[in-house]
This record gives sequence, C-alpha cells and structure tokens, in this order.
Amino acid sequence: MFEPKIRINKALYELVEQKADEEGYSSIDEYVTHILEKAVADAGENASEEEIRERLRGLGYLK
Amino acid sequence: MTVLAYIGPGAGFAVMGSFLIFIGALLLGVLILLSLPFRVVVSLFIKRAKGRFKRVVIIGLDGMEPGRAKRLMETGRMPNLKAMAECGHFSKLGSTCPPISPVAWSTFATGVNPGKHQIFDFLSRDLNTCLPLLSSSRITTTGSGTTEARLLRKSRPFWHLLADRGVSCTALRMPISFPPEPYKGRALSAMCTPDLRGTQGEFTVFSTTPESAKTTGGKRLPVNLNESSALGVLPGPTLDGNELVLPFQVRWTEKTIAEQRATLRIAGRSHRLEIGRYSPWIELTFRKRRTRVHGIARFLLKGVAGNFLLYVTPLNLNPAHPDMPVSWPKSFSIYLAKLIGSYATLGLAEDTWGLSEGVLTDDEFETQCVDIHLERERMFFESLRLQRRGFLTCVFDITDRMQHMFIRRPENPDTSNPLAIDRTADERINKIYARCDEMIGRVLHKLGRRDLLMVLSDHGFTAFRRCVHLNAWLRENGYLTEKAQDRKRKDSDYFANVDWSRTRVYCFGLAGVYLNLKGREAHGIVNPGTEAENLIAELREKLSGLRDPASGEKVIRNLYESSKIYSGAYKSTAPELIVGWKSGYRHSWETAVGATDGAVFSDNTDKWCGDHCVDRLEVPGVLFCNRRIKWHEHPPHLADFAPTVLKLWQITPPRYLDGAPWDIVD
Repeated sequence: MFEPKIRINKALYELVEQKADEEGYSSIDEYVTHILEKAVADAGENASEEEIRERLRGLGYLK
Repeated sequence: MTVLAYIGPGAGFAVMGSFLIFIGALLLGVLILLSLPFRVVVSLFIKRAKGRFKRVVIIGLDGMEPGRAKRLMETGRMPNLKAMAECGHFSKLGSTCPPISPVAWSTFATGVNPGKHQIFDFLSRDLNTCLPLLSSSRITTTGSGTTEARLLRKSRPFWHLLADRGVSCTALRMPISFPPEPYKGRALSAMCTPDLRGTQGEFTVFSTTPESAKTTGGKRLPVNLNESSALGVLPGPTLDGNELVLPFQVRWTEKTIAEQRATLRIAGRSHRLEIGRYSPWIELTFRKRRTRVHGIARFLLKGVAGNFLLYVTPLNLNPAHPDMPVSWPKSFSIYLAKLIGSYATLGLAEDTWGLSEGVLTDDEFETQCVDIHLERERMFFESLRLQRRGFLTCVFDITDRMQHMFIRRPENPDTSNPLAIDRTADERINKIYARCDEMIGRVLHKLGRRDLLMVLSDHGFTAFRRCVHLNAWLRENGYLTEKAQDRKRKDSDYFANVDWSRTRVYCFGLAGVYLNLKGREAHGIVNPGTEAENLIAELREKLSGLRDPASGEKVIRNLYESSKIYSGAYKSTAPELIVGWKSGYRHSWETAVGATDGAVFSDNTDKWCGDHCVDRLEVPGVLFCNRRIKWHEHPPHLADFAPTVLKLWQITPPRYLDGAPWDIVD
C-alpha cells in the first residue's frame, strides 16, 4: 500500500504503456518492474546452499 | 471516623484507557455516518461491471482425475457431480505444460501461458549459481534489515480485474499466492506459504531414541524420560541467527494411561492430549526479549512411558496473529480465525513426509488430511454465506495429497502391468472423491437459480513407478561433466560436483531440461542461436529414443521446446525442453534436487507413489459446470476461465490473455 512510487515523463509513460501492451504484460507496473529486475540483475537472493535447503525442506516433491 | 484509602495510578489508566477506546469508536461511527451521503454519490459515478449471474463460484479440487471421476459417477458414488454433468457440463480440462500445480493454477488465475506468468515448475534457479530456488517467492533482506517476501508470479489474477470494476471477490487458498497481493477484494494464501521455521513444512517427532537426526521432512529429537513424564524442547523459528525454542513437558499417571490421555505443558499452558488422537491447534508463542513469534501446531501423542512418541505438525503461522501476512487484507486471516477457529496456513499443510518417513500411519495421515479439508470447508461455506453477490473461488487440496500417497503398487504386483494399483489403498482415494462430491452437493443446495458453479481440477493423476535420473543420462552422454568430488560431502545434490565450464545441459525440478547458456547462466558456455538450436535438436533426437532397460519401452511421450509452446516476456528463463513422461515415469528424486551421481533408471520405492509430473496429455483435469458450456477455438483449457468469467461481467478480456472464452448456456 505504501510502496515507493517513481515519477516519469508523460510521453515516456505513453511509450511504455504501448510497449507493455505489445509484449503481453498485464500492466505497466509489471513491465517496468521486469525491466528494472533485469537491469539490477535480480537473478538470485544470494542465499547459501544450506539456507536454500532449509526453505525447500518439507516440499513433498523433493527429497 | 475518617478512613483514608490510596488508589494507585493503574486504576486511573485502566478507566481512562477503556474510556478513550469508547470515545474513539464513537467518533469513528459518527464520521462513517456523516460521510455516508458523499460515499453514496461517489459510488454512483464508479463504473461497476454488470454481472449476468448473481454469484460465480469456482471450486478447485486439486488433481481430480477424469477417469476415476467418471467411474465413480457411473457406480453412483458421486451423485452430485453426476447431476452437474447431466444437466450442465462435464469434460476433460486441458492442463499446462508441465501439468504441475504451481504452473497450472497460475495459468488458471491469470489466463496466460507460463511465458507470461513466469512459473515454470515448483523450482526456478539462481542464475549466478544454478542453485534451485522456490519459483513462487523470493525472500530478501532490505537495507534497513527487515525481511521481505516477494511474489514472483507475474501477470494478474482475473479476480483483480473484476474487483477493479466493483465486483466483490474472494479467493481462498489459491496456490502461488504468497505473499498475498494487494487488490480490492479478499484472498487467503496457499501452496508455498512457508511454516514458522521458513521451510515448506517440517514435522518434529520426539522419542526416547537417543540420537538426534534431521531427516528429509522433519526433525527427530530425544526427550528426557522418567517414570511419569517426558521433557523435551520444541525448536521454533530462527531469529538473528538464534533458534527460538519452547521447552515442554508431557505428564501421565497410571490413571491417565488407563484413560488413554496425558497432559502437555507448553508455553505456560496445559493441554489435554488423548493418546492416538490429534490435539486441536495449540497456540505457541516463541519469545526473544521483546519479540514474539506466533505459531500454531497440533500434537499427536502416540505412546507414553517406555514407548514415548510425540509427533508435532509443522509449525504453522498463526492466522489469528500473523507475523507475516497470509491474506489480503492482513485482517482477513484474523477474521476467518474468529469465524471458524484456528486453521492450517502452511501451503502444503498435509504432512506427506510424515507418512513417507513412517512417523505417521496411513490412518493418521488420512485423518490429518480430512481435518484440514474440513477447516477449508468451514471457511468456504462461511464465505459463501456472507458473500451474496460477486465472485468466490476456493481450492481444496485433499484429492491431490491422497493420490500422491495412495496410488500404491500392490504387494504382489503383476509384472506385466507396471501401473497396477493396490485396491485397498485405492479405496481411500475413492472415499475422498465421494466426500468432495458430498461437499459439492451442499454447495449446490446453497446456490440460487442465478448462481453459476464451476468445478475444476488443475491436472489428473497417474502412478509413479520408475525414476529417470536425467542428470545421470546427461553425464553418461557427455552433456554434463563432473569435477573431482568434494571430500567433505557425501552427496552430489545441488550441483555440488558439476564443472560448469564443461557442462552444456543440466536438469533440476520436475520437468525441465536447461541449457547452460552464455549470457544467461553466469558460467554459461553454450552460445545462443545456432549452437543452442543444434544442441536442442540433438537432445530431442536422443531423448525421444530413451528406453527403460527393464521393459524396453520408450519412456517419453513428448518433448516440448519452450520457445515454441510459450510466449511472453519471461520465456527466456524457462527450461529449453519440457519432458512429457509417459505414465509411470518421472524426473528422479536425485534429478529434482540437481544431484548428478547414480544410475539413470531406478524403481520408485518411496511412499510418494502417485504423481502428475508427466506429459500433460496423460493427466488432463476435469471441468464440471451447473450449466452447459459451449467452447469454440479449442477444447476447454485452464487459461479459458479468465476470459470466460470476465465476459460474464461484460468486461472485455485484455489482449494479453491467452485463453478463449466459452459460452455459458442457460
């Protein structure tokens, strides 16, 4: 509810809106978030193997 | 005579405190009344969607299999669903590729293919290390030191779009909804919601066995036993590197043993335990200085004195006091707890590992499943009672969990039929199907003529008899190379022995085959473009001919290229190939966690004996409706619900949706 907001130029916003629609995103928020995730290389959470094991423990599909 | 008395300040604070609350509530009430005319005027200008039906109710029965459903309808054991089939609609329902619950329910909710919602499996991976991660949420620590969970499922559930247009919406226990997303309706999280220890559900069992051990699905811990009591310590969550614990005592006497009961003393309270029966949910508050962490658990005392055995369910987040939100709004889980009492919040709450590891018997596991199911029935029927208009959906898991554990091989199997099943265990599943049918009957009874009911499953089920260790096959065929084994480790899980500089292909999870792609994986060696395409073609050719040496038969029904079957912005992180196993086969337990040693084929000897991680054509789901359904572009598919329901409220389905709307015929 109180997440940070970013201010951008209206013309840029309209271009982003068009692109989000073309690419099959459900909203501009989703599109911008995805671009930013890629830009900051948000691929992992830098968790150790032991932490990852703990988080997956108990999932019936995995031993 | 004058008597002097002293009244301390505490009494004054108590009176003033309650008085201030009273005044506050009164002022709030006045404010609500005064603003009423303005709110009415504003609501007149809000463009609300008009619904064709008063209520649309969608019930999910995870894993209900169409063949079994048909058999049980024909033999009179599912009369209510049979009536729906006769007066309305019954058909198979197309599932996703792969037909795995996180993928399938995400497609149901959003109306898009996995390339647009980013859930390709239970697991994804860290592209820096290739370590498998939970695909649905990411837990990160912010700069200020607080821990935050983030939902990784992209796109939007269609009920968010309905709620934007003023339709009252409730989504109960929809998988892949943790952490809950803000929207203008109500939602309760489900599959992949963690327990209090941050795992996907870890039981604890206390016994007189001297050694402590951590097994796959739980902790086995000792107790200090004397003549009439046992003392133990229940581990809780870890806070700032320290594990919080709750010491407990179980007491008994000769008299209580004769009455099959004992007393549990934990967290400052005493609880009656009946030997051989689950306790109700017990509130457990773990403390560290001023911090409190609130959980709930059920206890099953299986024996006392020399046979002492105490099973504790995974520690669920307390829905009445959630330290992490499990609902939207946060108060919704509290509201439900006030309505129906405490309930399981863990994503996969039925303790399959408890049964697999022999801690629970078949009956104890089934009782646990049924108890959890009844909680969900109560929250669903309360929501149905309270919601007179709009959209309501709820997913029930019992069908899935029971089939995973009871599609058993017979004790003396017929070798000519590898998919043969144990009839006694199978009957347990039939009873659960009948129970779900009886629930549907009660739902139908409560619906009016202007209400629409749809019942679906996300996939079907089949036997899981043989494990295929694809990483071993990749190793044997030169696609995956191991380095010298780490001497400190006994296992090769989590790619511990993989030499990434000489590995072109790897596997983990339940369906995918991944290229070690340059520019995507941190240590990628395969060039995108021609090299990757040739490698995929080569793998397709070789894997398509893969045969089980035990039977000589081919084990793969279809191999799907993600670039051809998915569309959308996230497909570049998907596995390059999705394996559509024939019934009876699955990614091995070793491949699922990225292990690389061992043989390619092995028998599945685990109690987890039913599965659906096979070709999607082997395990379609079911679709029932209390009205006729007319489909146009393709037979009914999970992605079709979103556009269909949106159209029922005269909302034009957004262009990004992949499903095609059906006509609902009166």
